[in-house]
Amino acid sequence: MIKINNVSMRFNLGIEKNFSLKLFFINLFKLKKEKKEKKEFWALKDVNIEVQKGEVVGFIGSNGAGKSTLLKVVAGVMKPTKGSVERYGNICPMIELGAGFDMDLTARENIYLNGAILGYSKEFITEKFDEIVEFSELRDFLDVPVRNFSSGMVARLAFSVATIVDPEILIVDEILSVGDIAFQQKSENKMRSMIEGGTTVLFVSHSLAQIENLCDRVVWLENGTVKKIGEPKQICEEYKQYVMN
Amino acid sequence: MFIKSVYSSLQKYRFLLHQLISRDFKVKYKRSVLGVLWSLLYPILTMTVMALVFSNVFKFSTPGVNYLVYLLTGLVMFNYFSEASNLSMSSVVANFALINKIYIPKYIFPLSKCLFVGINFLLTLIPLYAIILITGTPLNIYHIFLPYAFICLFIFTFGMGLILSAVSVFLRDMFYIYGIVMTLWMYLTPIMYDINLISVTYQKFFKLNPLYHYINFARRIILYGEMPSPFTFAVCALSAIGTLLIGVIVFKKNQDKFIYYV
Repeated sequence: MIKINNVSMRFNLGIEKNFSLKLFFINLFKLKKEKKEKKEFWALKDVNIEVQKGEVVGFIGSNGAGKSTLLKVVAGVMKPTKGSVERYGNICPMIELGAGFDMDLTARENIYLNGAILGYSKEFITEKFDEIVEFSELRDFLDVPVRNFSSGMVARLAFSVATIVDPEILIVDEILSVGDIAFQQKSENKMRSMIEGGTTVLFVSHSLAQIENLCDRVVWLENGTVKKIGEPKQICEEYKQYVMN
Repeated sequence: MFIKSVYSSLQKYRFLLHQLISRDFKVKYKRSVLGVLWSLLYPILTMTVMALVFSNVFKFSTPGVNYLVYLLTGLVMFNYFSEASNLSMSSVVANFALINKIYIPKYIFPLSKCLFVGINFLLTLIPLYAIILITGTPLNIYHIFLPYAFICLFIFTFGMGLILSAVSVFLRDMFYIYGIVMTLWMYLTPIMYDINLISVTYQKFFKLNPLYHYINFARRIILYGEMPSPFTFAVCALSAIGTLLIGVIVFKKNQDKFIYYV
């Protein structure tokens, strides 16, 4: 179960301007009022969502609506400026896969490294190693440095490592479109079997077909606020209408 | 309670720490022919150069003890600090891609760097002891206290690493500033010269430098065959733990803000 209570997230757009030495000294001589003038941007504004155990919730909305930020807050990567997130159960965040890969290491070494980053134990990875390799279909390339992989191969390896656990909460940000068509089908099936196993899923995608297919409920975000929550079919239809106009 | 939570997170992320350190080793040596051998060769060769320059060109010497051993003891310890604090400083910024996507306790990055360089440091003790034996500097029972100085050095370095890695997130200029600071710091630490060459009035300023005390601790034992004074013991521990405390406070206060400076 996940409870998102009044979560707001603020970014300072002008943040790097204030942090070079030159501007620091210039700012010293500026009036106080001028200094305070920072460009603020609220990526999320008072978001309240409650997700039940085993529920699959999809998030839609235009670019910059706050979908990824919301998932990052839930995953614990960012602390919300205001509000709080309660989560019960272990989380498997799948936000931009392969972030933990070291391009100079081989696929074999990266499986261990990435597994460790995701919080798996050594015994667990060793036990599941064959399963990971099998799923990624990269057995012939195990001892090749990842820098020589195509981006599709990297994504396949990353997906295979990330989904080897049975997490209670799965956070998925646009990753079902990795790899070739065969692998996309395979990863969608994997997602389905995880959902059937009772995993709670938060799911961001721009593919409305996928959302309608997989989700129990859809949240439509617009400019950092929840515009609508409800039945996937209905919300997706309304969203389509909205985008067309 | 704080110590308990640190302990449990270390338990949980022990394997990650292990993986990060072994990654550093693999990446460092993967494409070189001599590989790990460089861990031994590199310090030997650079120290040889320094020893040649300072004993022959500048005619530095230390009365009563072997200058080479004197120099190397200081150099080995200072190099540890210099390399570990430098790598720690960039460790958080270098791992932004990760920090931005997955929750990992962020102190793990400077810690892994300090440990990684620490292992290299232990390897450089081999050439150091080889020189001690070759030059006929007698060994003594007090050598068993040396790990005390090394542990203090490690704690101090980790504390500095926490401070530097946090500050450099907000102020990228640190990478340049610190290079200059390190050069100055090296010459202000009595590594190539004896502190007694400095006039007595300035000596007390030189003694504000914690590194001086760690190196002095080791030299008392290795070169003069005597037990370091209780005062030295105390200064080493206090400066190390004090720095670590400041580091922990600075890091903890700022770590949630790191993400905005990606």
